[in-house]
Amino acid sequence: MVRSIHLVAGILILIFIAAIVMGMAVYQPDSHDETKLKVICAGSLIESFYEFEKEFENKHPGVDVQVEGHGSIQVIRHVTDLHKEVDVIAVADHSLIPDMMYPEYADWYIAFATNEMVIAYSNQSKYADEITSDNWYEILKRPNVTFGFSNPMLDSCGYRALMVTQLAELYYDNQTIFDDVVACNFDPAIAVSTNNDTCIVIMPEIFEHKTEKIVIRGGSIQLLAFLDYGEIDYAFQYKSMAQQHGLQFVDLPCEIDLSSTESEDIYNKFIIQLGFQRFTSVGTERSGKPIFYAMTIPNSTQHPKLAVEFVKFVLSEDGQGILHNTKIPPIYPMADEPGNIPDELISMGIIYGPETFTLL
Amino acid sequence: MKVSGKTGFLVVLAVICAGVIGTLATVVNTYPSGAPAETIDWNLTLIGNGGNEKILTFDELKELPSYEGHGGFFSTVGMKYGSFECKGVLVEDLCTLVGGIEPLNTLWVSAPDGYLMVFTYDQVRGDIITYDPATLREMPHTDLKMILMYEQDGALIPEDDGRPLRIAIVSSNDGFVTEGHYWVKWVNKIEIRTPGR
Repeated sequence: MVRSIHLVAGILILIFIAAIVMGMAVYQPDSHDETKLKVICAGSLIESFYEFEKEFENKHPGVDVQVEGHGSIQVIRHVTDLHKEVDVIAVADHSLIPDMMYPEYADWYIAFATNEMVIAYSNQSKYADEITSDNWYEILKRPNVTFGFSNPMLDSCGYRALMVTQLAELYYDNQTIFDDVVACNFDPAIAVSTNNDTCIVIMPEIFEHKTEKIVIRGGSIQLLAFLDYGEIDYAFQYKSMAQQHGLQFVDLPCEIDLSSTESEDIYNKFIIQLGFQRFTSVGTERSGKPIFYAMTIPNSTQHPKLAVEFVKFVLSEDGQGILHNTKIPPIYPMADEPGNIPDELISMGIIYGPETFTLL
Repeated sequence: MKVSGKTGFLVVLAVICAGVIGTLATVVNTYPSGAPAETIDWNLTLIGNGGNEKILTFDELKELPSYEGHGGFFSTVGMKYGSFECKGVLVEDLCTLVGGIEPLNTLWVSAPDGYLMVFTYDQVRGDIITYDPATLREMPHTDLKMILMYEQDGALIPEDDGRPLRIAIVSSNDGFVTEGHYWVKWVNKIEIRTPGR
């Protein structure tokens, strides 16, 4: 009798444990103890922002920072078109934030870092010991040299590559550079038109190269593998990507590398008109501008205080150190609409206003 | 046989536990995704090169001959997704419904979120670069197809992944990825055009 009771009790305990296990397999409750902070950034910032994620979580137990990387326009579309809950965004083209987000989705940004265009290469590249900032376009023209850049339709690094070759014509006083280096390799041809003193590169609907001299891929990251394996000699890249990947690179003059505010008037003279409107929320023209990374907190953030803390961290000395270590040159933070910046950021005492460059 | 109160209590408890387990098992087996089956209210507009138009509901699309294969993709920052088991309709077959696609045509695939991707004739027929998922190095691959996917891994496509219709680049063989910008989500219009029009 006692034995049968023990047997039944044992079976009951096993059944109870099995029921709990099955219940857990079906139902996975959210952890209510952790706050999720959603951060979406441009692809060239991903290494930096993974570091920000790690350090911010160390300083804020109970916060789960979720970082995602995309093209800059896609970053913003997560808020404006896909209506996702995003707490902080950071893009590689500061002008996209007012163009796509103001006033409904945001009303300020802070520029916090910069970058520049370079010609990246490896030890295996032909004429690696010969290429300089004075002769790079001559080297790229050589019949046995191959190079690549990302598709301007899909990646800002791609249309910036075209801007660099156009700007090079002005800087080196040589009106054949764009044709000889880039345009001659495409079918249909890439047309260039001039309107007053503005030069417009008109991309075809389908961007297909007709020679094996050039490699075009959707993202500049794919070109890194090409360089690694010696499958191309050179690639137009952001300097940070070249450095992060341990590549050599040609430093270009600031008049053409899109790094300098002093050359902004010159950059503005060159426009790339894309072949089709990939996103209805932004037009098809991309004009030359200095490269600035900028971030903002969307109006729809669910965690405004925490988002401000994250932005503060990026702008802090520790944050600037992370940017420096991940090869993204930090700048003195600059706000476009000082009146709209959260007070907690103003009180840092490090943010400059626009135009006059005075501290806020 | 007389049953003691304690034994009877244990027997009743055993029956209750068995009932709970049985109910949970039923729920899991009936709704593996945790949600009951749903109807999809979605239209796909096909526009031919001559301007002829055909609208298919989701259910009508599913009645067309289907194609199944493996596919995966990577984002602009190198994040990899998949490999998925993809089921859908060959895009080339959809083009046939509105007059077909010719070598000089392009295919415009758009979604209501404002996204648009333009494909060449060759790409529609599967001429797309494939990459090794481990290294993102290009690797040759044959037998690629472009489909308009409506099932991913045996179920409706998750909302964030582009439910109910998404472009997918697939093959009968696994072990490759393609560029993510081809995998247009929430597709609601496919148009055949001639460049320059």
